[in-house]
Parts: sequence; structure tokens; C-alpha cells
Amino acid sequence: MRADVVDERTEVVDALREQVRRFCEREVNARDIDAAARIPKAVLEGLGALGVFGVTLPEAYGGAGLRLEDACRLVDELARHDRSVAVSVGLHLGLGTRGLVRYGTAAQHERWLPKLASGEAIAAFSTTEPGAGSDLSSLRTVAKEDGAHLVVDGEKSYVTNGGFAGLFTVAVSTPGLGGAQRGQSLVLVEPTDPGFSVQREEHKLGLKGSSTTGLVFENARLPRERLLGEPGQGPRMLAHILSWGRTLMSAGCCGGAAYCLDKTVAHAQQRTQFGRPLAALDVVKERLALMHARHFAMEALVLATARQQDDEALAVHSLAAKVFCSEGAGWVADEAVQLHGGLGFIEETGVAMVLRDVRVTRIFEGANDVLLTHLGTAELTRRASEGRRHSVSEVEAALDDFALSLHSTHKLRVFRQPRLLHALGAATAWVMASRAATQRAHLTQHPTQLAFAKLVEQQAHAAVARASTPLTDDTLVHAALGLERTGARP
Amino acid sequence: MNAPANVDARVIHLISQLVPVKPQDIKPEQRLRDDLGMDSVSSMELLSMLAEDFELDVGVEDVADVHTVGQTIELVKVFLAKKAA
Ligand SMILES: Cc1cc2nc3c(=O)[nH]c(=O)nc-3n(C[C@H](O)[C@H](O)[C@H](O)COP(=O)(O)OP(=O)(O)OC[C@H]3O[C@@H](n4cnc5c(N)ncnc54)[C@H](O)[C@@H]3O)c2cc1C
Repeated sequence: MRADVVDERTEVVDALREQVRRFCEREVNARDIDAAARIPKAVLEGLGALGVFGVTLPEAYGGAGLRLEDACRLVDELARHDRSVAVSVGLHLGLGTRGLVRYGTAAQHERWLPKLASGEAIAAFSTTEPGAGSDLSSLRTVAKEDGAHLVVDGEKSYVTNGGFAGLFTVAVSTPGLGGAQRGQSLVLVEPTDPGFSVQREEHKLGLKGSSTTGLVFENARLPRERLLGEPGQGPRMLAHILSWGRTLMSAGCCGGAAYCLDKTVAHAQQRTQFGRPLAALDVVKERLALMHARHFAMEALVLATARQQDDEALAVHSLAAKVFCSEGAGWVADEAVQLHGGLGFIEETGVAMVLRDVRVTRIFEGANDVLLTHLGTAELTRRASEGRRHSVSEVEAALDDFALSLHSTHKLRVFRQPRLLHALGAATAWVMASRAATQRAHLTQHPTQLAFAKLVEQQAHAAVARASTPLTDDTLVHAALGLERTGARP
Repeated sequence: MNAPANVDARVIHLISQLVPVKPQDIKPEQRLRDDLGMDSVSSMELLSMLAEDFELDVGVEDVADVHTVGQTIELVKVFLAKKAA
């Protein structure tokens, strides 16, 4: 992922990226990691020695103090070599440490940041529970005050890096704490804390080398100083932490897609059928062009997202990036398998593993369907209060029309129609990606990039048109499921 | 259960349909998000239910500054007064 705005830090990141690339080519074998379902310790130690675990941590604690954008470029590089490694590092830099960096006290920083920056300790993050996945308001893991301690009880699921993490940022329910009746807070947990245990590794479809475990808290006593940030302010902090996490995860999707794209281009040039290379066949040419364009837009949207300074803007951009990049990576990997033919289905080729690896990116850090409803809500609120804008591109105007028609037809009732919000979210993600791709191409004025941007704009138009077509008839949906159509709203 | 008649109680009754909190535990000073666990989607859903229940012509732009139960009740009262005028 090439930086599109070059500044004094770009060179530093370029140099580190190059070191990481060489290290990965030498030491990281994705097929071995997949087969053994673990990342060798030497790989994590080697990356630690290169400073990868400290890139976004403050310089005062041994980190490099680099920005989100810089970290994205590194995670992208890692994902070109191995997605399990990229996810483990990306989680550490985003969800794992962002809360501590932003909301931690000086004492908390001193205690953990140096180890986290060197990679001696790797960070994990946990919100999901057996009964609380998409609906985070229903957390059951509870922390209650007991003098100078918090006593935590409950169970957590699917914690990335859980098997080897040295620090866990955990979301817990804290009724009444900090004055918030149904409040949630964040606590910092060490693996050796009494009453805390890490469960067995899960067996997964992809990202097999990454660690995914449950956590159990049984009367776990944590000193009160383990509270991170303001008590009862969990959701606010989570919103910021998740923005970072989703952006970094999207960068990993770009790396996975880039690997598939490179492999597919090489294969299509070298493989001959019907007396010509595959790459000379009309249908294949179009596929390759669309893969390039989609990947270009994914990168552009990640870079544009990572540069957002305002928390609210970062949150909305990261929703779009997460959905667009996870879907894009899945699509590119699937096309890569297809264009490799039978070879694509064979594990040794490599693209099949990416298809397995990226599948979960549409689920974790917020299932895409849930995030699209949030994105639709955010966009509708914004566009309805701004009204129709002048001198925007055609595709932006089409999205304005769609949003404003939803508002004028349904008024506030639209917020009780998740399928409409979801459709608007889907169109919005494409339009934001198209905007980012166009801006990126205009910076370079490179003819290939201008063509990528145009292709993405055409697809964004189609996405808005698709989203604006009437929803599947509710009566049919209910009939298909054999349900009575009760409580249906107009 | 039938919806109660007075405005405060009716708003609180509607809120209690969206969050797992009993009407008697919902207080005007509570924040929809931090105290009642709503998010951007469910808080807009609530305002939408209110607009329909009270038959008010509220627009998206009118609800930007509504964060607490008390402000929600106030918004309904203002729009009821506008409707009556
Ligand atoms: C490999 C892996 C690593 C993970 N790492 C972490 C981690 O480090 N930390 C952590 O806290 N969690 C982690 N997770 C958990 C992950 O974030 C959750 O699985 C995810 O948020 C979805 O929650 P759920 O599994 O409970 O699915 P559910 O909430 O049960 O949803 C299932 C499906 O239902 C649909 N759905 C649900 N609600 C809605 C809605 N409102 N509108 C439309 N559709 C809806 C969606 O299609 C969704 O995919 C990880 C998961 C995996 C598989």
C-alpha cells in the first residue's frame, strides 16, 4: 500500500515496510503456519525486534509514535505474506493497545507500554460473550466494587491473541459505577490475575495460525486501578477503539487482496488456453481490471479513513472501510480462485487459503449487516440535516437523492426499517470508496489509476441503483418463511 | 399492557419497550446511551416510535440534541404544543 500523501514519516514507514517484507519472505511460511495452526515464536520475536509491535505506541515508552495510516501500511504488508500474522499484529496495534494509549493513566502506561512496544507482551481485546455478540448492550460479564477491588464474574468468547496475550482490555458491565445505571466499563487484565483463566484454542475455517480463545472470570479480584478511563464510559471508549481496529483490519484485507491479485495476474499471463494467455481473453481482461480497481479503492478508502482526525468522522469512515474492504477481499480472493481454475482449489497455490482467511473479516469487529445499518443511520442523519448539496459528483448526488427520498417518504419512521437503513449503508460504503478512489487517482493523475477510479464510480452507481430499488416484498418474505405477518409496519 | 395517558409516562413506557429496564426505573436525568445502553440506531428508533405514537411531525434535524430521557419528554411536549397551536 503506497502512501498517497507523502510526508516526513512516509520514508520511515517505507523503510520499515521493506524490512518487514524481507523478514517475512525469509521467515514467514503461510502454509506451515496454516498447517500447524500456530505462529512460530521466532516470527513474533523477529517482528518485535523490528519494532513492529510498537509502531503506534508513544515514543516515551519505546514505541515509534507513528500514525494509524502508517500502521495500516505495515499491516497491509504483513497480510500479503500471512493473514494470521497480520491479524495478530493488527489486533495488538488497534483494539489491543489503543484504549490503553488513549485512556490510560501515567501509571498504567508505565506498567504496560514498554513491554507492549517491544513485543515482550502482546495485547488482546475482549467484548464478545456467548450471549452478547452483535448486541453489545447485553454484556453479562460484570465487575462489582469491593473496597479497593473490582470483582469480575463472567465468560468471554473468541478472543484474538488470547492464548499468548500479556494484557487484555476487557469490556464489562458495571451497573451504577460512575453514575451510569446500565454502564459498561473497560478493565485491564493480566493472564496471572487470580480467578481469571484462558480457555482452549478454537478450531477455525481460516486464520488458523491466529490464537482465538475464550476467557473465564470466576470471582476474579482486580485492583481498582485496573479500570481503564472513566468508569461507565465503556461504550464511548469502545467506539474509538473499534474505529482503529476496523481500520487496521481493513488494511489487512487490502494485503490479502493484493496477494491474490499479484498471483492471479501472473497466472493469467503465463497460462495458455485457446492458443492465447488467459490474460488476453476478453472476459478475463474485464475480471482483472475490476479486481485491480476494487483493490485500488480498498486501499484508497483505508488511507482516507486512517487520516480522519475527528473521532466521529473516523468512526463513520471505519464502518465503510470495514464493510467495503472485507467484502472486497472476499470477492477478489474468490475471483482469484476462479481465474486459477482447478489450481485455485489446490491449497499449494495459496489463494484458497486467503479465501478461507478473509471470510471472517465480514463477521468480526462487527458483522457487516449490523455495521451497514449503523452506517445507513449515520448517513441518513447527516444528509437529512444538510439537505441536498450542490456541485457534488453524479454518484454523490444519486446517493443524496436516495437518502432524501427515504427521509421525505418515511420521515423518522425510516429508523424503524432496518432493511432500508441497511440498503442505504451498502450504497454509502460504495460511494465513500468511490470518492476516496477518485481523490487518490486525481493526486497522481496516473491514467491507470484514473481508469480504476472510473470503474469504481460505475460500480458505485450500480450499488446506489440496486439499493434504491424497492425492497423484497415483506409479504413474500414472511410467506417464504411460513410466518404470519404480525406486527408489520407500513 | 395499554399505553399510559400522560406524556411523561407514555414516553417512559415506549423507552421501556426498547431497553431491558422497567418503567419505574427510568428517570428523566438518565442518558439514553450511557445509562440506558442505547446506541445511535436504537435511539433513533425510539424517536421514531415517539413521533408515530404522538402523531408528531418531527424531522431528523430536530432530534440531534436529544440525549436524555428528560430531553426526550421535552421534545414531545414542544411538538405537541406546536401541533395544538
Ligand atoms: C476468528 C475470530 C476472532 C475474533 N476475535 C475477537 C476479539 O478479539 N475480541 C472480541 O471481542 N470478539 C472477537 N470475535 C467475535 C466477533 O467480533 C463476533 O463473532 C461478531 O461480533 C459477531 O457476533 P456473534 O458471533 O455473536 O454473532 P451474532 O450476533 O449472533 O450474529 C450472527 C449473524 O446474525 C446477523 N445479525 C445479527 N444481528 C443483526 C442485526 N441487528 N441486523 C442484521 N443482521 C444481524 C449477522 O449476519 C451476523 O453475522 C472474533 C470472532 C472470530 C470468529
